[in-house]
Order: sequence, then structure tokens, then C-alpha cells
Amino acid sequence: MTAVIAAKSLSKWYGNVLGLNDVTLEIEDGITGLLGPNGAGKSTFMKLITGQMKPNIGAVTVRGRKVWNNPEVFWGIGFCPEQDVFYEDITGWEFLTGLLRFYGYAPSEIKDRAARALDVVDLTHDKDRLIRGYSRGMRQRIKFAQAVAHDPGILILDEPLSGLDPLGKRKLIKLIKGFRDQGRTVLVSSHVLPEIEALTSRIVLIHQGKILAQGDIPYIRELIEAHPHQISVRSSDPRALAARFVGDRSIQKMTFGADGRTLVVETHKRDEFFGRLTGVVLEAGLEVDEISSPDDNLQSVFEYLVGK
Amino acid sequence: MTAAPAVRQVFAFFGFLGRRTGKTRVFAVLGLIPVALAVVVRIFLHGRAGLMADVSTEILMVFFLQFYIVILALFYGTSVTAEEVENRTLCYLITRPIPKPAIVLGKFAAYTALMFAMVSLSLTLSYFIINAVRLGDPAIYWTFLRYLGVLGLGILAYTAFFTFLGTILKRAIIVGLVFGFGWENVIQYFPGSTQRFSIVHYLKSLLPYHPPVVGGGGGRGVALLLFRLEPTKPLVAVLALAVIVAALLALACWAFRIKEYLYEE
Repeated sequence: MTAVIAAKSLSKWYGNVLGLNDVTLEIEDGITGLLGPNGAGKSTFMKLITGQMKPNIGAVTVRGRKVWNNPEVFWGIGFCPEQDVFYEDITGWEFLTGLLRFYGYAPSEIKDRAARALDVVDLTHDKDRLIRGYSRGMRQRIKFAQAVAHDPGILILDEPLSGLDPLGKRKLIKLIKGFRDQGRTVLVSSHVLPEIEALTSRIVLIHQGKILAQGDIPYIRELIEAHPHQISVRSSDPRALAARFVGDRSIQKMTFGADGRTLVVETHKRDEFFGRLTGVVLEAGLEVDEISSPDDNLQSVFEYLVGK
Repeated sequence: MTAAPAVRQVFAFFGFLGRRTGKTRVFAVLGLIPVALAVVVRIFLHGRAGLMADVSTEILMVFFLQFYIVILALFYGTSVTAEEVENRTLCYLITRPIPKPAIVLGKFAAYTALMFAMVSLSLTLSYFIINAVRLGDPAIYWTFLRYLGVLGLGILAYTAFFTFLGTILKRAIIVGLVFGFGWENVIQYFPGSTQRFSIVHYLKSLLPYHPPVVGGGGGRGVALLLFRLEPTKPLVAVLALAVIVAALLALACWAFRIKEYLYEE
């Protein structure tokens, strides 16, 4: 399959700071999730593929055409920025119709398209309110509306679910999936794994400006499973608890916390460990105050993957 | 979309947006100052015309030429590109199928039209209030049109200069203030060709000028307010202003096309 978006040896610096480092990536039809912690380079990558920035090294093409200073390519691209920024003194309707003017549509078509986009994001009734009076969720939705109003084949969405309540997130996820079902290409970024998982099984992991891994969810999970998880158990007798796990092959390492009540376990098989832990605690009659997984977040997963 | 229709669409959007902003309301109020002063002068001049009306009109033109259009052009000109970067709204424009120079030219045209509307309204009201007792004199209409034309050219030239500054500099307002109220006010009085490095020199060269009458009891001595050292011929002045506008806009478009704008975190 031909790549819709292709980046080849892409690098970008901000002065002395490396924003993106030798990224080669091909994005195909369907939804692709760009996952990485804050500052990983997701927005830099998105700005490069939407022609807002020029690469220092390498090249980026959309459907085989260069993006930088090539306005024609934007007939087919819709971009939803991460920042919560607008022309605040106009209404949602004026915002959409104003931006649709830049496509040279006839006035009646501008109105039709704006009305359809507002309907899609459920903002028809609030179209005549000033944007500065919109709630965070409404602002996210109008931002999404401006990206889809001209029916682009490619949607680039930078943290579109950020700041939305659960219901809003569900609605937007449904909308994005709807676009995929219409055969469009969607690239969506997030620093929250479950958000990306809810959208797609195709993920690109980015960290410190580099692509760490790419593939489907099971592959990424496999990568993550290859690195030990840390689990901290605070109990009345951590040494007794440790004694019961000494022979367990799923345990790679055990240490005791400085407070004398915490056992920190490193394991490759987190689910198996949790399964055994309940039985052991009951058998030994131990009191457990807290079980936590200090590294159960994306940042830690990335740190494992980069070998820190 | 090709350049010309794109410029028209950008002009329409920002003409509309420009009318809605708080900045426009503030500057429109500023434009009422000469109108209010004209009313006061009219009451003071009660029944008198001639010299005092000429004096007041020239004071009025100093306000418009060396303050109002400069401050308007400074704030609107530098904001053509800088406000999009500062407000981070640039992404809404440069991810559309329009050439980047069309954004600069469309916004420039929209803002100059807006400024010209504000200046014309303010000048029309204040000028005709001051000259109310001479409305039957055809000469005042000719002078009025000439003033209006000079102010229009001034808006174009200053806005082009500040648009260029805003496109290449991050803190264009400060440099613009130094240029508009420092350089322009000083250089125009330098002898020889140095004065020709100011925009106001060409603008003043186009104004009607009545030199002071020696021993004439003061005559039209207020011409000092609009003093020109060695005026350039009107046609040359118009051409010079046209070249300034075209060259600065071309540079601004070129800079906007090749420059990357990074948002400050």
C-alpha cells in the first residue's frame, strides 16, 4: 500500500534543542495513533507534516507531494491544533464560514459546509455565540469542525481529546472512527495510552524526538511486557511476604523500602504476580495497606523502552 | 486558489474580524479627539474664519500626519503577521490552500481600508466643523481632498513599513515606536538628502504649503507646524511613496514565505 504521509530521515532543531531526530515513518489509510509523553516531539512532527515548519534535514510528503510552501496540498488536509486558540471576538459560525472562504467556495456552499460541520460536532444551537463564551469542550469541538468542514481526505489531530469530559471524549472518538470508516486517513496524537487504544490498534511510539516503536497494540504491549514492572506492596510484614515469593520464577528482583513496611517487586508477569499475591496474603494472614505500581504510566514505559 | 482571489478572501475575513476587535474600538475613540477639539475651536472661533481656521486646520493635520496615522499603522501593520504568531492562530491560515503572500497582502489591504475609514471619518468631521463658516468656498474642498489623499498615502506607506517590521522581528512594536516617533520626527529636518530617508518628508511635500509672510503681522506663520525643509516635487514624492509601499510589501511577503514562526512556550 502506498503511504499517504511519508517522512524520510526527518530532523528538526529548535536552536540547540533537538525536536525530532532522524524520523522515518510511513502513515497509511485508517487511524494511526502517535503516542508519546509531553515534549516527545509529537507536535513537532505534526507541524512538519502540515507545513507549519520546515525540516532541517530530511523530507516529508503527503500523497507524494512536498508540504512546505505548497498550499495546494491543503485541499486534502484538515488540521486540528493542540493549542486552545481562536479568533475570540467572532461566533462559531463566523469562524467556520470565515475559514471556509479560503477554499474559494461559493457563498451558498460555504454556508452548507459550515452548517454540516456544526451539525457533526453538535454545535448548531450555539453557532451564534462568541467563541470566547464557549466551554472547553465546545472549543475542542469547533476546532475539530474547522478541520473537517472542507471534507479533507487526511485529518491531522493534535491531542484532540485533551480537556474533554468522558462523554465528550466518547463522542469525538465516535466521530474520528466515522471518518476512518469513510476511508480517510487520520493521524491522532496523545500522551494517554487508553485514549489511543480507544481509537486505533495502530500505534507509533515517539519519545525524545525519536520513533521508539511502531506497530499494532499487541506488538506494543509485547514490547512493554518485555520490560519488568515494579509493584510496591505495603504490608505489616514485608519480609514474610518476600519469603513466600523467593522461589517464584515470575519475580526478577525484590527490595525493601526504607520505611521497613514496603516490599518492591520487579516482575515480567504482572498479572500472574497479582493472581498469586491475593492467595499468599490470605494464606499468611498478612495485612496489606497499599498495593501500587509506581511505574504504571506511559513515561515509565518509555523509560524502559529507551533503556534508562 | 490563485493569489488574487485568495487576497480577496483574506481581505474579506480580516476586514470583518478587524471591525470586531477591541483595538479598533480604542482607535476609533482616539479618532474622536480631533473632532472634540474641532468643536471646542469652533466655539472659540465663533464667527471668525480665515487665519484662525487655517491655524486650527494645520494643527489638525499635525495630529493626523505625525501621530494618528503613525500610531494606527504601527499597531495594525505590525499585527498583520505578529498577532497571528502571538495568538498562535497562524496555523488556521497557513494550513489552507492559499499562498502565504496572499495572507500578508489580504490582511494589509483589510487593515489599511479599516484605518482609512477611521481617519477619513475623523478628518471629515473635524475639518468641516473647523471650516464650517467657509463651506461656500470651493478651495476648502480641494484642500480637504488633498489632505485626505496625503493621509491615505501615509497610511499605506507606514503600514507597509510596519508590516515588514512585524514579519521579520519579534518585538516590532518597540522598533516601530522608535522609527515612527523618533527617526521620522528628527530625520525630516536634516538638510540635504538625509531627509529623504523619512516617509513623512514625502507626505509633507504633497501638502498645500503657505510660507510665512515676512513682516505680514504673522501671516500664515503656522506653516512652521508643517514645515518642509527642501520639499520633493509632488510627482516624485508620490512615486517615491509608491516604490516604498511596493518594495516593503514585497519584502514582507518574501520574509513571510520563507520564515518559520515558532511559538514561545
